[in-house]
Amino acid sequence: MKRIAIVPVLALAAALVAQPPTTSWPTYHGDNTGRRFSPLTGINDKNISGLATAWTFRAGAGGSLKSTPLMVDGILYLTAPDHVWAIDARNGKEIWHKAFETKGGWHIGNRGVGISGNWLFFLTPDCQIISLNLKDGSERWRKQNCDLDQFYYGSMAPMIVKNKVIAGVSGDDLDRPGYLTAYDPETGDQKWRWSVVPLKKGDAGSETWPNEEAMRHGGGMTWQMPTYDPDLNLIYITTGNPQPVIAHANRKGDNLFTGCIVALNADTGKMVWYFQASAHDTHDWDSTQVPVLIDGQIDGRPRKLLAMAARNGYYFLLDRTNGKNIVTAPYTKPNWAKGIRPSGTPEPDPAKHPQVDGALVTPNQGGATNWPPPTFSPADRAVLRGSVAGVQRVLHFRSGSRQPAGLGRHRSRRRESEFVGGGDRLQDRQDPLVP
Amino acid sequence: MRTMWVCLAVAALAGAQEPASVFQNVCAKCHPPEAVVTPRSRTEWQETINKMVDMGAKVSAEERTILLDYLTATYAPGAAGGPGGRGGRGGRGGGGGPTLNGAPLDRHVVDPDAANRGRTVWVAQCIECHGTTARGTDKGKNLIQSDMVLRDRYGSTLVPFLAKGHPMQSGRPSASLSKTEVADLSHFIHERVYDTLRGSSIFQPQNLLTGNAKAGEAWFNGAGKCSTCHSATGDLKGIGGRFDPPTLQGRFLFPRGGGRGGRGGGKQLTLTITPANGAAVTGVPVVFDDFDVSVRDEKGEVHAFTRSAQLKVVRNDPFAMHDQLLDVYTDKNMHDMLAYLVTLK
Repeated sequence: MKRIAIVPVLALAAALVAQPPTTSWPTYHGDNTGRRFSPLTGINDKNISGLATAWTFRAGAGGSLKSTPLMVDGILYLTAPDHVWAIDARNGKEIWHKAFETKGGWHIGNRGVGISGNWLFFLTPDCQIISLNLKDGSERWRKQNCDLDQFYYGSMAPMIVKNKVIAGVSGDDLDRPGYLTAYDPETGDQKWRWSVVPLKKGDAGSETWPNEEAMRHGGGMTWQMPTYDPDLNLIYITTGNPQPVIAHANRKGDNLFTGCIVALNADTGKMVWYFQASAHDTHDWDSTQVPVLIDGQIDGRPRKLLAMAARNGYYFLLDRTNGKNIVTAPYTKPNWAKGIRPSGTPEPDPAKHPQVDGALVTPNQGGATNWPPPTFSPADRAVLRGSVAGVQRVLHFRSGSRQPAGLGRHRSRRRESEFVGGGDRLQDRQDPLVP
Repeated sequence: MRTMWVCLAVAALAGAQEPASVFQNVCAKCHPPEAVVTPRSRTEWQETINKMVDMGAKVSAEERTILLDYLTATYAPGAAGGPGGRGGRGGRGGGGGPTLNGAPLDRHVVDPDAANRGRTVWVAQCIECHGTTARGTDKGKNLIQSDMVLRDRYGSTLVPFLAKGHPMQSGRPSASLSKTEVADLSHFIHERVYDTLRGSSIFQPQNLLTGNAKAGEAWFNGAGKCSTCHSATGDLKGIGGRFDPPTLQGRFLFPRGGGRGGRGGGKQLTLTITPANGAAVTGVPVVFDDFDVSVRDEKGEVHAFTRSAQLKVVRNDPFAMHDQLLDVYTDKNMHDMLAYLVTLK
C-alpha cells in the first residue's frame, strides 16, 4: 500500500486551546478539545494498583451504562436510555433520579448529558431533547429532535457551544438522512440544522450521488459529540456511514458528506470545510470517532491540528483551519483501500466491497476502533487509543433485490462468518504528528 | 445488570374476556403466574406483548389491551425499585424475525395471515407500479421509504389516502377498497418495511461456491499448510456433508466456537504463567487484563497473579495457525478452499 510521502519535521508546542479541567468534568469530552486528558497526577502508574472501592452506586434500572458521567460542583450526572441520575460524588448517594416513560426507539445506549449553568440537556431513545433543572431534575422543556416512525433515535451527549445546545441523531435501519441541530438552551427553539447529506441537486456534495432519491436516503448519522475551537468558531462533527451501507449499488459516488470530518460555523451551522475519511463506505464503518484538537508545530510553524483515528483503520491528521490533510496512516492493517488519494482520503478497492461469495475484509464490522474515545497526552506527545488489531470478517452481499435498502445484514445463528478471528484488543499510542 | 427474561406466550384466545381469565387462558399455559416475576412498567409490558406477537403469537387488539392493563396492574414495578428489569430491551429479539429495536412501541405489529391476504390485494392492484417488494419501480414510489406508510397503523393513514382516489392497476377505484382490504394491505406493506431491517430472513448468503476445488486442494496441501494438522480422509472426512457452504466458510476461517476468546469450542486458549520465583502454572484464563491474570488449572484450582515485568505470561492458542492464515489468504484462496472442502462428502 502506498504510504504518503510527506514526513514533516515536527515539534509540539505547549500552547493549548484551553486548559483541561481539574475540579470538574463539565462535558462528555471533559472540555471542547476532545483530548480527555487530565493533568492531575494524584492517581498514577505507581499507585493505580492500590486503588480500592470507595462506594458503589446501584442504578437498578436502565440497562447498560454507556455514558461518561459529568461532574459539576461535586455532583455526578450519569445516564442510561430514559434515565438520568444525580449522585453525590463523595459518597455515591442518589440526589435525584429522573425516569422517562418511553414511546420506543432503540435503547442501545446513552452517552450522557450536556450542562449549561443551572440546566441539563438529555436525548431520549424516543427522539426527545429534554432540558432539566440541575438541582432537582424537574423538567423545563422538551422538543422533538427526530421522528420515531422513521426509526431515528437519540443516544448522543448534547454539546453546549455559544449559547446553543447541539444535538445529533442516531438510527441507520431505514435509510434516513443524518443531521445536526442547534437549539436555544432557554426555550428549546431551533437555531439551525445542518443536513449531513445534500437533499437536492445543486446542493454541496450532490455531485457525489446519482440522484436525489439516493441522497435523501443516504444516511450519515451524527452519533458522536463534536469538538469546538472557540478562536476559529468552528464545530467539528464526524459523520456516519452512507445507506444502504452493504447494498451500495444505487448510490454510486463518494456519498458526501457521509464518513467525513466536517467543520461548521457555530453561529450558522454552515459548512466551512470537510475531509472524507471513508469515501463510498460499504463496510458499516461510521466515521464518528472523536476529532481531537491538538496544537503543534510543523516545520517550525505553529499549527492548529485535528487528529482522528477512524473506524476504518486509518489515522488522519488535518489542519483544522482549512481541513487540509497532513497525515494519512494505517494504524492496523486495513486491506480495503488500494491507495491514498492526493486529498489524503483512502481509495476504496472495489474487490473489497461486499461480494456474493464473500470478501475477506479487515478491520471487521466493529472497526479498528469505535465510539470509545481516545485521549491525547500533550506531555507524552501521544494519542492513546483503544483499538482492535488483526480482526477480519467475510462480508457477504446478501440481497438479491435490485432496489437495495436497509442494513442488508442477516443475524446469523453462527457468528463465525461475520465475526473476528484472533483479534487482540490493544491500547496503543501514536505520535500524533508522524505517520 | 440483572437480567431476568420472562417470556409470555400469548396464544389465540377463545372465550371469556375477563382480564384474569384472558391471562389464565392465554399466558398461563406456558407461564404460570408465579413465574411472571419481573415487574415491568406499562411501556415495558407493551413491548413484551409486542415481542410475543412478533414471534408469532396471535391475539386480537382487544385482547392486547386487556392483557396490557392486567399485566401493568398486577406486575407493576415495586415502589422502591423504580422501573423494573429492562434486561430484554435492546437485546436480540427472539424467533426468526427481524430486529425491531429502533421501532416505536406503538408500531404496526404484522399479522402474517392478514399480510398474506394483503399480498393478494397487492398483486391485483399495486405490484405493477410499486414492485414485488414495495421498493418501487420506474412507474411508482418506493413505499418502504414513504413517511405516510411509516406513520400508518393498520390502515390509519392508508384508508383516508386511498379514499381520496389513487390509480390502481385493475382500474377499480381505490375508494372501493374495504377497510379490511386496506388494513390487510397495510400488514403486507409493513411486513416489507420490517424485511429491510437487520436480522430479516430475506438477507441470506447466496452462491458462495465460485472457487476452483482443484486449486483449493493444492493450496490445502501446499501453501496453506492445512495438511500439517488436518487430513481430508481423517478429521475432515465428510465435512462437506455436515455443513452448508456459509457455515463451512465460517468454520475454516474463524474456527473458534462462540466468538472471541474461544469459549464453547472443544479447544481452548490457555495461559502458561511463570512467576519469578515459583513453578509455572497452565490453565484457562479467568481474568486477563493489564493488571491481573488468573487461570483455572485442570483440577479446577484458580491461580491469581498481579501482572508485572517479572511475571511471564505465554498464550497457548490452539487456533494461532488459523489466525495467521487470515493475513495470508487471498479472496481466491478462500473461495478455492471452500470449493474443495464441500467436495469432502
